[in-house]
Amino acid sequence: MRRRRKILWAVVPLAALHGLVLLAEFFAPYHYATQNRMLPYAPPTPVHFFDQEGRFHRPFVYELVPDETGMGYREDLTRPCSIRFFVKGEPYRLLGLFSTDRHLLGVDEPARLLLLGTDGFGRDQLSRLLHGGRISLFAGFLAAALSLGIGLALGSLAGFYGRWIDAVIMRGAELFMALPWLYLLLGARAFLPLSISPVQTFLLLVSLIGTIGWARPARLIRGVVLSARERDYVLAAKGFGAGDSYLLGRHVLPQTLGVVYTQAALLIPLYILAEVTLSFLGLGVAEPEPSWGNMLGELQKYHVLTSYWWMFSPGLVLVVVFIVYHHLARKL
Amino acid sequence: MRWIARRLLHGLLLLLGVSVLTFAFTEIAPGDYFDEMRLDPRISAETVEALRSRYGLDRPLHERYLRWLGSVLRGEFGHSFAYHTSVGSLLWVRARNTLLLTGLATGLAWLIAVPLGAWAAASKRRWVRALFGGGTSLLLAIPDILLALLFLLLAVRTGWFPVGGMASLDYPSFDAWGKVKDLVHHFALPVTAMTLATLPVLVRHVHASMSEVLRSPFLLSARGFGIPPRRLLFRYALPVAANPLISLFGHSVGSLLSASLLIEVVLSWPGIGPLLLESILARDVHVVIGAVLMSTVLLIVGNLLADVLLYAADPRIRVES
Amino acid sequence: MAVAVQVTHGTILRTLVALLFWAVFPLISTLAQSDGAAGEVTLEDPLITNHRVGRKGGRLVTALRAEPSTFNPVVALNIPSQTVIRRMTANLIRINRKTQETEAALAKTWDTSSDGRRFTIYLRRGVRFSDGHQFDADDVVFSFELYLNPEVASPIRDLLVIGDKPVRVKKIDRFTIEFELPEPLAAGERLFDGIAMLPKHILKDSYIRGEIGSAWSLDTAEKEIVGLGPFRMKEYLPGSRCVLERNPHYWKYDQEGNRLPYLDELVFVFVPDQSAHVIRFQAGDTDIIDRVSSENFLILKRQSRRSAYRLRDLGPGTIYSFLFFNLNVTSGKDRQSLRDKQSWFRDLSFRKAVSAAIDRQGVVKLAYRGLASPLASHVTPGVARWVNSELSVQPRSIAVARDLLRQAGFRWNRAQKLVDKNGAVVEFSIITSSSNSQRLQMATIIQADLKELGMTVHVVPIEHRALIERITREYDFEASIMAFGGGDTDPNAQQTMLLSSGYLHFWHLGQTQPSTVWEAEIDRLMKEQVRTIDPVRRKQLFDSVQELMAENLPLILLVSPHILVGARGEIDNFNPAVLEHPTLWNVEELFWSQQRSE
Repeated sequence: MRRRRKILWAVVPLAALHGLVLLAEFFAPYHYATQNRMLPYAPPTPVHFFDQEGRFHRPFVYELVPDETGMGYREDLTRPCSIRFFVKGEPYRLLGLFSTDRHLLGVDEPARLLLLGTDGFGRDQLSRLLHGGRISLFAGFLAAALSLGIGLALGSLAGFYGRWIDAVIMRGAELFMALPWLYLLLGARAFLPLSISPVQTFLLLVSLIGTIGWARPARLIRGVVLSARERDYVLAAKGFGAGDSYLLGRHVLPQTLGVVYTQAALLIPLYILAEVTLSFLGLGVAEPEPSWGNMLGELQKYHVLTSYWWMFSPGLVLVVVFIVYHHLARKL
Repeated sequence: MRWIARRLLHGLLLLLGVSVLTFAFTEIAPGDYFDEMRLDPRISAETVEALRSRYGLDRPLHERYLRWLGSVLRGEFGHSFAYHTSVGSLLWVRARNTLLLTGLATGLAWLIAVPLGAWAAASKRRWVRALFGGGTSLLLAIPDILLALLFLLLAVRTGWFPVGGMASLDYPSFDAWGKVKDLVHHFALPVTAMTLATLPVLVRHVHASMSEVLRSPFLLSARGFGIPPRRLLFRYALPVAANPLISLFGHSVGSLLSASLLIEVVLSWPGIGPLLLESILARDVHVVIGAVLMSTVLLIVGNLLADVLLYAADPRIRVES
Repeated sequence: MAVAVQVTHGTILRTLVALLFWAVFPLISTLAQSDGAAGEVTLEDPLITNHRVGRKGGRLVTALRAEPSTFNPVVALNIPSQTVIRRMTANLIRINRKTQETEAALAKTWDTSSDGRRFTIYLRRGVRFSDGHQFDADDVVFSFELYLNPEVASPIRDLLVIGDKPVRVKKIDRFTIEFELPEPLAAGERLFDGIAMLPKHILKDSYIRGEIGSAWSLDTAEKEIVGLGPFRMKEYLPGSRCVLERNPHYWKYDQEGNRLPYLDELVFVFVPDQSAHVIRFQAGDTDIIDRVSSENFLILKRQSRRSAYRLRDLGPGTIYSFLFFNLNVTSGKDRQSLRDKQSWFRDLSFRKAVSAAIDRQGVVKLAYRGLASPLASHVTPGVARWVNSELSVQPRSIAVARDLLRQAGFRWNRAQKLVDKNGAVVEFSIITSSSNSQRLQMATIIQADLKELGMTVHVVPIEHRALIERITREYDFEASIMAFGGGDTDPNAQQTMLLSSGYLHFWHLGQTQPSTVWEAEIDRLMKEQVRTIDPVRRKQLFDSVQELMAENLPLILLVSPHILVGARGEIDNFNPAVLEHPTLWNVEELFWSQQRSE
């Protein structure tokens, strides 16, 4: 029971996060690509409850306007703009099914509700964060599933049968680990048609990375299988005439579960992060589509790193997501 | 011995395979080194074509490969288009710098990881487990590049550490003690960043395999016999947990040349990373192939090392062979 | 000859070496200088500079984006290599980066014939290479032979081949050379900037062996790299830095008779990361910084009050960025969709509408943080001498753009998408180089701007080489954002882009005949200005070229980024310019105004 409750501690936040991300259009106040050209790198809008005279109001914000230096912003204190729920905003299709224009949060004109500030184009960072999670989380899943699936199959084959099968698969793994895959990715991107959408392009690249990444899990799984098949009860089962598929399924593969879970816990974040590297090389999700990787990639710009702390928000979210994933993996 | 010879032969074949496939990849990636010149208003298209044919880029792939193989046999490892010199001489100095960084960092990471992972696996205290889990998760969650950038920021904000390079400009004029101080000063940031980047994965694996062993019946009974915990941990549990760790160690050795790429680029370390990245983007193919082959050699050495160690450590495998 | 110099040093060892030289040298010198006129000449007419007189000593450190790839001026192409090489070599005539006019260098004076085809150059007498060897006409002839030899395939060669025929070089006497151009060339003396004079006595052997391309590579011993520049190679550490030291034989003096340069050493450290450049400058590791991005410039500026450096915004340089459409003639079935779209791209109203919809001020503000200038002509305001100041920047107007489209037969469907006469939805992609974040930002801004016209635009960042291949060889793109510039400011340098047969005529390459009336007219004007010696008339011709470019919009001009530089406060004679190299072009004049406290 205790164990199950501990798993819930990881499952509930993950489910909530996936829900938020799936319904991003509703939870996000704005569309992820809407630019406010007068508000590049605006800090998060402060939410107020008391007006200038100290009277209590429903939550409201002030409009941000460029300050005297032209490099920062100040609040225009003359007009409080109330925050409202279930407001009409930009139209969208929820889950691709229902057409609506209601958003959870909104604010009266002319202010903008920028709870996590804006990026260099004046786009709302919170809306981008919610939309971006969709691609990033899915990409991590997809690539890790591909790597582990192939890795498990080939690794256990190699470990269980040994001999030439082992030799071929392990040499193959070495070859795969040694090759400069960057070239393949560069080539792959260059050969895709220009007109397919940024998300499709990216998912294709991610599948490629996932497929390529089988070698490492395969080697670890092989190591486990190698020692598992020497265990006494496996030898005993063999002695009783158990077939290969029975041995593998009943005795050997369950032994690998530990490694598989550890690997999954390591690989999902790793592949989410692979996207950061891809963004670094210009192979990430293309503008204007957001992803946690390309949002985090902004931090490579020195001025962003040093001057705009709210641009760290994707990093923070990532860290939280990873910790939850790791927790889940350890408790499974 | 015959077994090692066979492994070496395998290694050689692997190198051959890698070189062939890398050559094929360079063909897939569009454009070549001389394309950049097509944007230069001073250079005519004819000159670009003349240069391409001078360096044999207009020949078919297999012919280029054979020519390159010939130059490998001469010890040159091909010719760099950008640097007008042999790839061997270009890579050697930088590989040394990279190995200095990663060797130190990997050694340090292992020295920390094994006792730390074992201790955390054995500990019953909740806060140790929580701290350990949180700490490794946090470290794992911070990408290399962000880690490197944060260190860069630290260096800038505090001014305590120099940024980039392996030694100061005045290094030759220092006395022996000054030299040591200068080196430590310059190595501190990149080595720490690199150690922190490699550490969490290692610790996690040590922790995972140790936990598994500690739960196994023979250890429970050993504990029942009253063997002291430290002896239990390092004398009984660690050898049993060693197999996956030895594979991991082989992998550590194998990635000595390739693991530090981003950190080298961000912290301006004069290693192989910046050169490789630049060469990939510039399509200086022979440099790329040279660097890839170099890290493949290390990979083979790492695997061989792991297998030899496994052979020595696990009697079961010894009997098998 | 090295001998005389070494004897005057007077140490016993050196004398011994010198004696040894005496024994061997006559042999070599008779071989090397067959005209027999070689004699020692002391520096009779050094160049006297007219800047503030400085004090000697000190070391200047600056960072390079990448390691130089070679120290050989014959094959060097990239900026890091050229930055180092240019500090170690000299030209006959140079372009003053500040005034953008030519001035004397190794040539004391020169005559131009009335038809602009013949240049007679009179060298300074007694100039020496950095190893002490005498420089004379033989070295000049040798250098040009190297650059012009098609076997060597030097990228410099194309500059010296005019109308398919090479420049002819003739030695008149030991210090006089005559150059004959195959065709008249306005401002022909500008050619000589960028052609480094090479030492025959060092490079002759490798030239004869046919290995000149790999001479002076990164493995070459420091002592063997010899030039006429203010500095010479002292030490090169692969991957980390190269150190240049004062050339003791330099041929420039200040007004008080001190031999330049003032600095003892010039150090280039290799720092591949842009952020690290700024950090090292802030930390005081480097003394001069150039090519600062606008964001980093603002960071430096914010902290400059506390620090001992000064920053300069030099205004727009020579670089112009632009959006252009693929107007190439393509064949093949797979290009059918491109050909359909080209019916829009070829429509001048369409291009005008796109240009009118672009928010250039937004580009300046967002992509360059205000540190760029919107463009009216492809000649930037940084080239004050040639820019056509009658042209004005296209103001943004969605209404004008919509009118233009409506008149050209475009309509809007129910979803407010733009459709053409045949009912096809207007949708195209813009490719940009993935390594250039500013261009990516511009594309993203333009994408949002054109959305207001109902156009669907995909921004596709692709890797640089792949982009070049698509544009120059495969013609497989719809639109792209690129930037040109950075070379000489003279109109002649733009022929390759403007002439319909030019290989930088990216919107429509491979034309044997100009395909439009206005391209034919530009061809005619450009060919006429090359032959025109009168500068006023040349300016008129080039103004017309700029007008035609602005009217027909083969390039939809965007902005020109400002050249931003910085230097420590104690560096005197700091006189940055927009032309390459912005901060080090007058490195021989730079000096530390006070000893730095270390």
